[in-house]
Amino acid sequence: MNYMPGTASLIEDIDKKHLVLLRDGRTLIGFLRSIDQFANLVLHQTVERIHVGKKYGDIPRGIFVVRGENVVLLGEIDLEKESDTPLQQVSIEEILEEQRVEQQTKLEAEKLKVQALKDRGLSIPRADTLEEY
Amino acid sequence: MATPSRKDSHGAGVYLPEANNALSPEETALEQVCQPEKIKCLQGSRLDQGSGKSHVPSALEEELVSASQLEEEELDPDLAPDVEEEEAEEEENDLGDPAVQSAVHNSQTLDHLAPLPFRPSLPSAGSAAHHFGPQLPAPDPSLLCSPPTSWPLRLSLPSHLTQLHPQHQRILKQQQQQGRPRSPPAKKWPQQPDSYANLMTQKEKDWVVRVQMVQLQSENPRLDDYYYQEYYQKLEKKQADEELLGQRSRFESLKLVTPYIQKAEAYESVVRIEGSLGQVAVSTCFTPRRAIDAVPHGTQEQETAAASSQRLWVLYRIEKMFLQLLEIEDGQQDAPAQPRDSEQRSSRVEKLFQALKAQGQNNLEAADDGFLQALSVGKGKALVARLLPILPRDRAVSLLLAITRHLPFLVKRDVADQALQMLFQPLSKCIRHLTFHELLQGLQGLIRLPPGSSERPITMVLQNQFGISLLYALLSHGEQLVSLNSSLKEPSSDHSAWTDMVVLTAWEIAQMPTASLAEPLAFPSNLLPLFCHHVDKQLVQKLEARMEYVTVEIRS
Repeated sequence: MNYMPGTASLIEDIDKKHLVLLRDGRTLIGFLRSIDQFANLVLHQTVERIHVGKKYGDIPRGIFVVRGENVVLLGEIDLEKESDTPLQQVSIEEILEEQRVEQQTKLEAEKLKVQALKDRGLSIPRADTLEEY
Repeated sequence: MATPSRKDSHGAGVYLPEANNALSPEETALEQVCQPEKIKCLQGSRLDQGSGKSHVPSALEEELVSASQLEEEELDPDLAPDVEEEEAEEEENDLGDPAVQSAVHNSQTLDHLAPLPFRPSLPSAGSAAHHFGPQLPAPDPSLLCSPPTSWPLRLSLPSHLTQLHPQHQRILKQQQQQGRPRSPPAKKWPQQPDSYANLMTQKEKDWVVRVQMVQLQSENPRLDDYYYQEYYQKLEKKQADEELLGQRSRFESLKLVTPYIQKAEAYESVVRIEGSLGQVAVSTCFTPRRAIDAVPHGTQEQETAAASSQRLWVLYRIEKMFLQLLEIEDGQQDAPAQPRDSEQRSSRVEKLFQALKAQGQNNLEAADDGFLQALSVGKGKALVARLLPILPRDRAVSLLLAITRHLPFLVKRDVADQALQMLFQPLSKCIRHLTFHELLQGLQGLIRLPPGSSERPITMVLQNQFGISLLYALLSHGEQLVSLNSSLKEPSSDHSAWTDMVVLTAWEIAQMPTASLAEPLAFPSNLLPLFCHHVDKQLVQKLEARMEYVTVEIRS
């Protein structure tokens, strides 16, 4: 803020731990090391966190360079409150399995819905076949 | 990646805002409980870190002593659990039976703890230390943190807390004890020095900021960045007011100042090279490729004066005039005072007025046509409504007279929009400045029988809301002028014209069936007396019937 009063900037967020939500739904957690005018981010010691229900799993990923337009939001993580979470951390294999199961149930539900609509002569355009906006 | 443990954070963030606050008896028991807890936590953490330094400042000790003296019992059950929590890392969920047992056990040991208000930092010192020994088993902290459930009599925690679920209470108390030391200034030193810090050098950061600033620069910040400018003005005003009231010392809040960078000279968007066919593809960052020449330039050909292009031309004119009007209004807002500016402003206003009165495409049209065409469009009416207040008197009057002259035409054209209403306010303000002569001119237009028609325009005017309101406003003003200025009462051509007009108007109103009389937007109070002066009683009665019907409508 001392650089540009009245604006929001990522300059003050450098070298702090951030949670970044991407447009494809991934959640990345890492130290923000560098930015540019497009809000492209360089994340260090990044971990991809997968949440399923009350469980989560961290997949260490190393260094990420994220193109700015793919970021939905990002926020600084309070290091003290970070561990103060009701969620339960599980192993990577377990969370991936959970995720797979969740995807499957979602897909099946979706299929049923589409079938039901089709039976009634309606169709809803699916989000993945549509441009994002 | 390394997650700093809670212990570390406690150790590092030695900040006790509460410790320095005097403990007043009025403070809730929980408050009192919490402070010693916090202090215990710190000590606990130091213990764990093995730093043998007894950092307990004397102030703390005093606090602890005083706290303990005030509420001895409350201290004790919470002494243990917090330290335990620090030591036994993340065991939070167990409220099992073993806990109950230890609770019972603890209650017996409490009496021993009472005289010892604090726990010294050195593990070897103090008899308090070994009291915590038997309490080490993990389940204890969870239960001990929720003493109210086990010892309702011993403790006097505030009732709103005792009703909560024990786990909830525990979380709340944790938050309370951990929340405050963490609050600003939380700019504590990093737990371990970050070896990857400053990968982005200061120069690079400045570069990014510069680029962002360049993107922000503008020649007209009030236009481009309206909300920030307004906000900043309000902020400054508030600060100035507060400073005036002496409430706070002046401090400047920073304003975003973008660097001024010379704007690149205007580029040629369309390059025409002699001998080439069409346009050459000249691309800049603003126009990658300008393919079509969409802006009309050159003269409009006379043959294309079809109705649609005529209408387009009118719309185009209105847009241009609106831009001029907005410029004038902006100037008005920003710099009200300087005389040089006001000259410039009045010349702009005059230019706008001329543009309004200007001709259409063919110069064969009648004098007022340009103006009337503009008025036929809703946006044109809005333009005139906004322009009238800033026009000088004579200009405004000429517009008003033009409107009254052509009122039937305008009314007919307005049936779709019903937008003439917006002109009423500014016009009624203008009417108040009319001279008697001008007023007569205005009214004459309505009364006079146009050639080739047996109906006076006034008939149609009375049926339209705007028309009738305007008429009433004119009559009312006339009556005011006459009553105020006795010279006008003398018999003169003006006065007789006035009388004729009034009589005629009254007659026309009386003729009109009440149902088709439009409801005026405002009903001046001096109209009925005016009519009373000039017409006979019978007519007055008829008029009254109609007008009162109308006034009742307005009032209801």
